[in-house]
Amino acid sequence: MIDALAVNETCPSPAARPTTLARLVGVGKTYGSGENAVAALSNATLDIHAGEVTLIEGPSGSGKTTLISILGLLLTPTAGEVWLEGKNVAGLGERTLPGLRARNFGFVFQGFNLFPALSALENVAIAIRMKKMRTNHPEREARRLLEQVGLESRLHYLPADLSGGQKQRVAIARALGGNPPILIGDEPTAALDTKTALSVMELLRALASTEGRAVVVVTHDPRLERFADRVVRVEDGHIQAITGPSPEAVRIPS
Amino acid sequence: MWTLARKLLLHDRLRFAVAIAGVSVSVMLVLVQVGLYFGFMETASSIIDASTADIWVDKKGNESFENATTFDERAFYKVVSVPGVAHAEPVLMTWAQFKLADGGDLGVQVVGIDTTPRRHSLLAPWNVIAGDVRRLAGPGAIMFDTSDYPKLKVDRVGHVTEMAGVRTEVVALTSGIRSFTTSPVFFADLRTARSFLPQLTEPMTHVLVEVEPGVAVADVQARINALPYLTAYTTAQLSTRVRTYWSKRTGVGAGFFTTAVLGIIVGFVVVGQILYSGTLQYIREYGTLKAMGAKNSAVVQVILSQAMISAGLGFAVGAPLAMAMRASLKGANLTVALTPELYTVTAAITAVMCALAALLSIVKVLRLDPASVFKN
Repeated sequence: MIDALAVNETCPSPAARPTTLARLVGVGKTYGSGENAVAALSNATLDIHAGEVTLIEGPSGSGKTTLISILGLLLTPTAGEVWLEGKNVAGLGERTLPGLRARNFGFVFQGFNLFPALSALENVAIAIRMKKMRTNHPEREARRLLEQVGLESRLHYLPADLSGGQKQRVAIARALGGNPPILIGDEPTAALDTKTALSVMELLRALASTEGRAVVVVTHDPRLERFADRVVRVEDGHIQAITGPSPEAVRIPS
Repeated sequence: MWTLARKLLLHDRLRFAVAIAGVSVSVMLVLVQVGLYFGFMETASSIIDASTADIWVDKKGNESFENATTFDERAFYKVVSVPGVAHAEPVLMTWAQFKLADGGDLGVQVVGIDTTPRRHSLLAPWNVIAGDVRRLAGPGAIMFDTSDYPKLKVDRVGHVTEMAGVRTEVVALTSGIRSFTTSPVFFADLRTARSFLPQLTEPMTHVLVEVEPGVAVADVQARINALPYLTAYTTAQLSTRVRTYWSKRTGVGAGFFTTAVLGIIVGFVVVGQILYSGTLQYIREYGTLKAMGAKNSAVVQVILSQAMISAGLGFAVGAPLAMAMRASLKGANLTVALTPELYTVTAAITAVMCALAALLSIVKVLRLDPASVFKN
């Protein structure tokens, strides 16, 4: 039994034991029943730590997306426990989940998913407004986040006028709206060239190191491993291995 | 939410323009069609509505106001003697042939009224724009409406002509008095009106009653109804009865309202289609917001706001179009009665129409699985 999972705690010092923000215990997801049952994920156990970048790798159809969907409370598991804010939230209904997601997760996608009609500032502000309906100054907060990701000179640009890397930075700023402790990226660098992809990963690495956020990234790109604290290998719906940082790991002082 | 809704709508200006055009046409159709209906109905009962009588008395079984059954003077005196009746005036609704300048005849509707000078008449011509209505008491004196100039080919006071072989003189002109039958409406003294139909033995078709102060109109109405062969209506009752008669008899109500409903359906389909395609276009973005914790209510607000913006702008464009239509139809002697109440109700209908049109989009985002954002 887990009795103390913290949220929004400061980044632990390198020497300290990492703070667990979320925990999956024996999680499984099976679609269909009887002879038609298909197990997308089985018996997955994983801790998500503050200040760490976790890469999730594996071939297509291995269960990576199912894993992060369950972690991000977008998918209800058919087995196991999902621990967040000190309680098992695996069985909670859709009435409770939006609030939990808003407090705990930010998402970054391969396709950016920005409203093309809104400027960078508006895209971030609208997400903040929708997450926290009573926020007093979403524009001010959005401006701060865009400055944080290096887009202070592009606040009023439409997505069509931004490069791929800049769009992804807007998406990261949007994910940071509401100050969630966990960022989940679904192949956030797949649509970017190598240089831009690495700069985006550097940004995510910095958010983990300097702000103590947990960053979980699904990727097919092994070059990103040097930004990771852990690499989770998923195959055939099972977590096959969880390995530590590569020898060339990029580190940003906290 | 308004900002997001507005920007999403305006991002594709052509599509937005189509949506606004759809709502505008819908608003215009509803306003003009219902306004025309109300205009016709106002016309149908305008003579009744213009009277200051409390009660109108008809012969029992009478259906038509314009082709009312006549009754004799004894009935009139019976009405006058009913307790609570302060004053009564006979009215004769009849028809006559107006001799045109080219020698032809034109059937006109004649309203014979009591022109005896008194403190006030229960029915008198209104909207008099030329001449002297007091001269109507003279023999052969008539007056009609300027809207009938083209038919009558007469546009001045003092014109002398013949009606049913009787010498008549135009003594005054009115503006805006028309009949649902589309025949010109003439006012004349009772005696003049009777002279157009010398064979007529019963001199009136209606009796107008003014009830004594302090006496309940319903009580007097009940007493008159107790008399043989007579039926009493309050002015409001007869007005409604006449409107209903024409509406049912001609099917005009069904015709206008069917067109208005078709307008609403067109608006509904156009707005619904535009909103739905817009929702599909941004479905991944909506899904992203839901994934990050936005409540369904927040996303629904955006779609409803788009619907309300479409409704508001559509109304703002459609209402002036309806006013322009009213002005152009005036030339064709058609009244489009655009009342504040009609505007208010149409605005509400437009809002409801657009909100209902947004339902499909709302269901789409409510059913949108936020996990779908992970599926490329």
